Amino acid sequence: MKEQIQLYRKNFALVVTFLVLISISLVVAMLLAYNLTRKYVENEFVSQKIEVLEEVVNPYNDLFQNKIPEISFYQGFLDSSSVKKYADSVFIKYPFVDRIVFYDAAISNLPHSDGLRVNNFSIRPKAVYQFGKNVTKDSSALFKKSFPNSLSLQTADEFNKMAVKFTGFIKSADTTKALNDDDRYNIFYSVNANRITYMSIPRREDLRIFKDLMLKKQPPSLQYEQDIMTFYMDPFKLKVLNPHPELYQHIIIKPLVYESLSNNPELINTDIPLPGAFSDYKLYLSSSKSYLRNEINLRFLPIALGLLLIYGVLVLIAYLIFRNLNINSKMFKLQYDFINNLTHEFKTPVSVIKIAGNNIRSSAELSVREKNHYGKILDEEADKLNDLMNRLLSFTQIENRAIKIKEEVINLEVFCQNIIDAYQIKYPHFDISCTIEGVNLFKADPVLLGSLFQNLIDNAYKYSLSDKKELHIVIKKVRRHLIFRFTDQGIGIPQKELDNIFKKFYRIQSEYNQQGSVGLGLAFCKELVNFMHGSIAVKSRLGKGSEFKIALPFEELSLE
Amino acid sequence: MKYFDLLMRLFFEKNLMYKISAAILFSCILLFSLCSKEKKNEQISLETFFKNPEKSNFAISPDGKYISYLKPFHNRLNIFVQSVDGKEVTQLTQDTLRNISYYFWGNNNEILFIKNYESDENPILQAVQRDGKNTRTLISYKNTRINLITTDAAKNGEILVALNARDSTVFDAYRMSIKDGKLKQLVKNPGNITNWFADPSGKLRMAISSDGVYETLLYRNTEEEDFRPIVKNNFKTTIVPVGFSKNQGIYALSNRHRDKMALVELNSRNGKEIRVIYSNPEVDVTEAELSSIDNKLEYAVYETSKKQRFYLDAGVKEMYQQIEKQLPNTELTITGQDAAEEKFIVRTFTDRNPGTYYLYFKKKNKLQKLSDVNSSIQKNSLSEMKPITFKTRDSVIINGYMTLPSGKQINNLPFVVIPHGGPSARNSWGYNAEVQFLASRGYGVLQLNYRGSTGYGKEFWIAGFKEWGGIIQNDITDGTKWLIRTKIADPQRIAIYGGGFGGFSALSGLCFNSDLYACGASYSGFINLFTYVKAIPPYYKPYQQMYFEMVGNPETDGDYFRNVSPVFHTDKIKVPVLIAQGSKDPRVNVTETNQFAKELKKRQIPVTYLVKENEGHLFKNQENKIEFYKELEAFLKNNLDKNK
Repeated sequence: MKEQIQLYRKNFALVVTFLVLISISLVVAMLLAYNLTRKYVENEFVSQKIEVLEEVVNPYNDLFQNKIPEISFYQGFLDSSSVKKYADSVFIKYPFVDRIVFYDAAISNLPHSDGLRVNNFSIRPKAVYQFGKNVTKDSSALFKKSFPNSLSLQTADEFNKMAVKFTGFIKSADTTKALNDDDRYNIFYSVNANRITYMSIPRREDLRIFKDLMLKKQPPSLQYEQDIMTFYMDPFKLKVLNPHPELYQHIIIKPLVYESLSNNPELINTDIPLPGAFSDYKLYLSSSKSYLRNEINLRFLPIALGLLLIYGVLVLIAYLIFRNLNINSKMFKLQYDFINNLTHEFKTPVSVIKIAGNNIRSSAELSVREKNHYGKILDEEADKLNDLMNRLLSFTQIENRAIKIKEEVINLEVFCQNIIDAYQIKYPHFDISCTIEGVNLFKADPVLLGSLFQNLIDNAYKYSLSDKKELHIVIKKVRRHLIFRFTDQGIGIPQKELDNIFKKFYRIQSEYNQQGSVGLGLAFCKELVNFMHGSIAVKSRLGKGSEFKIALPFEELSLE
Repeated sequence: MKYFDLLMRLFFEKNLMYKISAAILFSCILLFSLCSKEKKNEQISLETFFKNPEKSNFAISPDGKYISYLKPFHNRLNIFVQSVDGKEVTQLTQDTLRNISYYFWGNNNEILFIKNYESDENPILQAVQRDGKNTRTLISYKNTRINLITTDAAKNGEILVALNARDSTVFDAYRMSIKDGKLKQLVKNPGNITNWFADPSGKLRMAISSDGVYETLLYRNTEEEDFRPIVKNNFKTTIVPVGFSKNQGIYALSNRHRDKMALVELNSRNGKEIRVIYSNPEVDVTEAELSSIDNKLEYAVYETSKKQRFYLDAGVKEMYQQIEKQLPNTELTITGQDAAEEKFIVRTFTDRNPGTYYLYFKKKNKLQKLSDVNSSIQKNSLSEMKPITFKTRDSVIINGYMTLPSGKQINNLPFVVIPHGGPSARNSWGYNAEVQFLASRGYGVLQLNYRGSTGYGKEFWIAGFKEWGGIIQNDITDGTKWLIRTKIADPQRIAIYGGGFGGFSALSGLCFNSDLYACGASYSGFINLFTYVKAIPPYYKPYQQMYFEMVGNPETDGDYFRNVSPVFHTDKIKVPVLIAQGSKDPRVNVTETNQFAKELKKRQIPVTYLVKENEGHLFKNQENKIEFYKELEAFLKNNLDKNK
């Protein structure tokens, strides 16, 4: 017995342990998740700058890869008016381009005062124009061949660099092969701080002609046109886009050497250099710690909620398991009590029989009176045992639906009077009265109905004080039901027990049921009523008495 | 049986997995071989369509005793000679690198020939004896092109050639001995002469000079006289001398003072037209044939939907009718004859038959078959080419040809629109390997002679000037829309494809009529007019001004060039593109094409890009040609079939 009790206590401990463990897990998971989120956000702060860079230099790359090589498509046929159109389209699409200088170059084998000459090959600017937002029409032309030697050194600088590179290339070029990408970049692009110079790429045939011009003595040649253009750009006019506003508070373009002198420890920053012509500058990205913390919290929130949800589900499952265990434990206790009571119930008559037996054996001879007395005792106790056993048996039968209803027409008045008479003999002080209203005949199994009456009358007797042993039975028809009311003046049932009294093996702990009770009576009644497709209910006031109300289905009997 | 053995052997393997996989493999192989067999039955292979002709370019020796032809030897065309009866075949050349591009009989005993050459190679004129001996180089100068002035047999052992040896931009006329290649300069080109003409006796008597816009016909009665100009006209007017008439007149095809070219006789003194010999109200007269014996006009050729002959000589008419009687239901042309005009090379062809070469004996009125052009092509499996006409948006009637895949319902067909190159050219009726190849793959083909095409008169031709991507493109678009309107084509499955100018039109269509085509292919297509105009070679310099007028001047028409050149409009292309390009193509800068393809790729447009390092404009190498058509086949299949 002790072990059983311990078993249930152990279960409770398990539940507690479980709860504690999952709570610890929750805390650990929360901490881990928060730390990981923080690390992740901090990593992103460093790594996502590449994406920002891409966004920012996208137009620059587009200019470099697509718009500038477009110059080649014109095959040197650009002049001041077509360049103007080209330049305007550049200024609209690429606002970071400030100024474009266009060198309308000519290649021939004729000597010239301006430009470059190697062997017989000369390249010179025929005209130089500049375009830009702040360039007026008058200041557009920087140089024209009709005014030789007027080209300023500064203006000629980019042209000369390009011309030198190109001339060197012509001298060593392999004209039997197509240009490769390396040559295209190295020869025809010149990328310097804040400016790109580009020269239109000649066709293969042109390269061959140029090479011949340089290395062979030939009659005066035609003029071959090449276009050279310099794009002056302002990095600060690059449009700074922030594809990650959640990470970066401020993004600015700064010179490469810039370092923040701010002493604000709250501010964290990272930087990345710009490519190509802007390589003297970098993107400087910064955020305050609290700004990042916000982002971390924002990202941590759904994780935390998820964890809490899992935790909640686990706790719920634990509760449900615990509840099941609890019910089982109560059931176990009831069964245990029942066995206890039953043993007790059986013990009393058995010991009385044993004493009577002993007395009969030990006495030399029995008087008639004694013989009657012992006979009566043995008879009574045997009846008690029999009754107890019958009850147990029939309850089990009822519960298992093992008996069959044998319905017959019952004359209620006769039926009640018989029972009352029987009780009057048994308990002469028990005042039972019966009122039958409006019905006489009722079709039911008389054995079952009798058991029902017996149980309820027994209960009424048992739970009434000795001076108030009264029971009033009312039978009446209400619509399609026959209602039986058993009203006593007994001790009553506490309100909180009302739900339990119909449960198997349940007994109210009280001084009145110390003996002769197994806690089956009302449960048996309920089973019986259910079996007869009826219902049972109870009303009670503590100290004043109880009223059991049974409703059974009633069929109007035909007169035959 | 082999498969069966394999299967049996594998069945004895213990491992069940082996058995299963072997069974699967076996059934796959079986299925595959069945499929491929089935396909072979219905589809002529790509290689068959585009293989070199077995024998081609037949010619008869002047004495009529030998027949020469070109035949592939190690996949390159070489010269062979056989006797008229087909015996005694001799191979004269053994070049495995280059094709023979041109040859002719210098005399009864010798053949002169020129080989194909690339722009950075030097052309070479060689001679060889009929028996294959004594192969010798007659002319080979660095950076010098060889233009033949006479292509008949040599007169007094001499022929006339034009060379630009002195100055790469001008061709001087020389008389060359075919024995040793010795040159004698006849006339020094003052710089503006673009064409030389010799009379039947091999005397240099006519020339055309050009200042780029104006052309002048020059004439002299004897070689001792100086050339004198007799008629001058804008290049839009054409006078093509075809021969010398009696009374010192000139036979010429001319559209001076008229729209359509006519066969006329000119007065050689003042250039005035003496008479119109033949003209056609609908189309130009494109050819006129003179007998080399008596210098009499035989017939004039004009081309409506098919080429037609207008006979000017009863004897010739009689002969043609005799041949036609023996070769019914086919077109025929005479491609060669002997000096006595007794034996002729006749070539037949139809739209569904690449044709056959015959030898015709005039006296015996007998035909002797020489060779099929492509004997592996079965005539009945090919598709009919139908002449069509439609009206453009401005109510101009455009002629064209439609080839529908045989055995298919004429409804909702996938189509390939092929604008021809040029644009100063035209599509003609006849066998076209490319068209038949596409039709055999289930595509309808539309070819159209848009404005700017030649053959339909001066006005029609000039209407295409500076209208690249303009009226020309509209005509192509209208043709496509006509296909859709008549429900012949499935509007979801139309491709546009072309070579050279056709490639330009294809890309232009993709750029500016992007919703009309499901995909487009450009074969050596011009993608940039600036580059195209810049590529006029130095020896074409006199024509530059003419080009400027026809195509546009890059300096003054820069905006127009920019607006129509596909290279500036990659952003407008939305459908898959195939580009095939030779690295040495002078009219297209391969760097630009690279850039073009790169930009398309960047914009996630599917691009099939085929670049051949050693090819120029349109691929010459057979392997490259086959590769291109394979790509084209797959490209059309992928992009047209998916829209089904």
